[in-house]
Amino acid sequence: MKRSIVALAGLLIVGQALAQNVITLGASVQETGALANTGRYYRDGYNFAVDKINAKGGLKVAGNSYQLAVKILDNQSDSNLSVRQYVQLLNQDKVSFLLGPFASNFALADSSVAEKFQVPMIQGGGASDQIFNRGYQYIFGTLPVASRYFESTLSMMKTLTPKPQTVAVLFADDAFDVSVAKGTEKWVAEAGMKLVANERYSTNASDFSTLISKLRSVHPDAVLVAGHETEVLNFIRQAKSLNFSPKLYSFTVGVPTEDFRHALGKDANYAFGMTSWIASPNNKDDYFADAKAFAEAYKAKFGYDPDYHAASAVADVEAFAKAIEKAQSTDPKKVRDAITQLNFQSLYGPIAFNATGQISLPQTVIQVQHNAVVDIYGQKTINKPIYPMPSWDKR
Amino acid sequence: MDLLLQVIINGLLLGGLYALMALGLALVWGVLNIVNLAHGALIMLGGYAGYYLFTLMGIDPFLALPLVMLLLFILGYALQRYVLTLIARSPMFNTLLITFGLDVIFMVLAQLFFSADFRTINPSYAGAHVTWFGLTFPQVQLYSFAVALLLTVGLWLLLLHTRIGRAIRATAQNLSAARLYGVNPKKIYALTFGIGAALAGAAGDLYGVVSQITPYIGATLTAKCFAIAIIGGLENPLGVIVGGVLLALIESLTALYVGPTFIDVASFGVLVLVLIIRPQGLLGKTAK
Repeated sequence: MKRSIVALAGLLIVGQALAQNVITLGASVQETGALANTGRYYRDGYNFAVDKINAKGGLKVAGNSYQLAVKILDNQSDSNLSVRQYVQLLNQDKVSFLLGPFASNFALADSSVAEKFQVPMIQGGGASDQIFNRGYQYIFGTLPVASRYFESTLSMMKTLTPKPQTVAVLFADDAFDVSVAKGTEKWVAEAGMKLVANERYSTNASDFSTLISKLRSVHPDAVLVAGHETEVLNFIRQAKSLNFSPKLYSFTVGVPTEDFRHALGKDANYAFGMTSWIASPNNKDDYFADAKAFAEAYKAKFGYDPDYHAASAVADVEAFAKAIEKAQSTDPKKVRDAITQLNFQSLYGPIAFNATGQISLPQTVIQVQHNAVVDIYGQKTINKPIYPMPSWDKR
Repeated sequence: MDLLLQVIINGLLLGGLYALMALGLALVWGVLNIVNLAHGALIMLGGYAGYYLFTLMGIDPFLALPLVMLLLFILGYALQRYVLTLIARSPMFNTLLITFGLDVIFMVLAQLFFSADFRTINPSYAGAHVTWFGLTFPQVQLYSFAVALLLTVGLWLLLLHTRIGRAIRATAQNLSAARLYGVNPKKIYALTFGIGAALAGAAGDLYGVVSQITPYIGATLTAKCFAIAIIGGLENPLGVIVGGVLLALIESLTALYVGPTFIDVASFGVLVLVLIIRPQGLLGKTAK
């Protein structure tokens, strides 16, 4: 009896000592609901990065070593619930720092919680310019700026022969896609091309037949779509069944994912897309060696390929690790200041936040060629694009 | 002009699928007086059934229709017999609660078993089309429209000209009188719900060929079916066809002339109008 009490007391002391040396990051993520398909990249990315950092010995802060932990709540793809969960994470669960949710409309609302509580949030799921142009001090983002999503695509289009003359833009009516579309207008004009259609549609639209028929009647050379994955799939399938094939089409999301190619089969071919990340061994990293090694380990652990969402999520955790070590403190203000000073190489790319809190990261243009994703264009041409895209009956 | 015609054709063809989706909901509502909020979830399950029959066993989605319908019929029959029967003759609110609960359960189970990935049924002819008079007709949608018509007319004939159909109608009109004539309402209820689920299953299978299936498509589809059933009325399966086509046409024309973001405003606006002007539905006779 006595012995077990002593043992118990010993355990308690050890437990407390451990508890003191844990820094918990909190996030509300779409684990279920309509956005669960992308939300999982963040859940898995956060957990994977935390495990890896702990396995490498955790963090050294002011002579003590700390382990990282992550507390993830499921917001069920409901942005109101997400806001409440961030309040809960700070008030009740007492997490030290915040990681972000997926999608701009979530990040837009949730970042207000971070700002109000003055706890830094690093998020890699929201790219809308609206998140960053409010002068907030505690929100940081690791996705490229939404308004510049199509910048590299337009820059590639200028190099094509025959050069596309007319462009149509379709976009969903949410914070992120509206920002993308606004920016794209500018890039189209800058590339000397003509915008022949600029159509906004409702998020989650499943019937694109009217829009496609409308586009068919104005014959755009290129169609640029800013929307969500399910809309992109509907668009491509209905474009096929209505026999609409422009010389090129490109999509903000979907194309890099495995899911996209599974869902469309060979109809996925020739679609252009973009990614802020490629799993290349050139992306060196302190924790995972490099991006290629990370991608392989990720696939082995979770059973599916990571895409830029997962890499962005990992970069968010790494940014906190670096910032806490740089600040040598867990004080939210000091860590915030350290985040603004960060400049390190992650598997996702160089991480250094600008004055508004976003990193500067160009999109790499990709294309599905022969059922595989091929990197086409970064600052210059990497691989030859297939252009113009063959019409549906010639495939 | 060509554009307008094309958009009208798109709407008509989509309307067939819409009608098929709503048919089961209208039947169950009309006969059992259950507004089945899990109807969209049954469509979703039908979609997964069609998807797995196609990808695992290579069964063409159109040939798989009878099998998908049978599976969903069994599920629907069992649901009515063992779950919904518990709340028979209880207030409408309880049936809404229990079917809402079923909707959530099916959605969560679907994510658990099928994951949140998008599924498409993609047979070789999925994107094929025919061109008549310069207008494009997607083949799959033509077939779907034909299937929707067949099943609607089939249901109509079943209700009008068979013993089971008469029993179903009798149960809907006057339960105690039907009982006096030897109808076993429990069986008829289960049968009706089974047929409703089977029709939802057929719609789901075809939905997977034109769009994609995720565990979350149910709620939106239920809302759409609800609107179609109200617009078309619950009395007559042919009314549901009219409701489906009308809703799809309104959506397509709104997208063309006003803008795609106004689709829901227009379709639910029409729903409200119909409720005010003809609460029994466009083809319905009198309100119950």
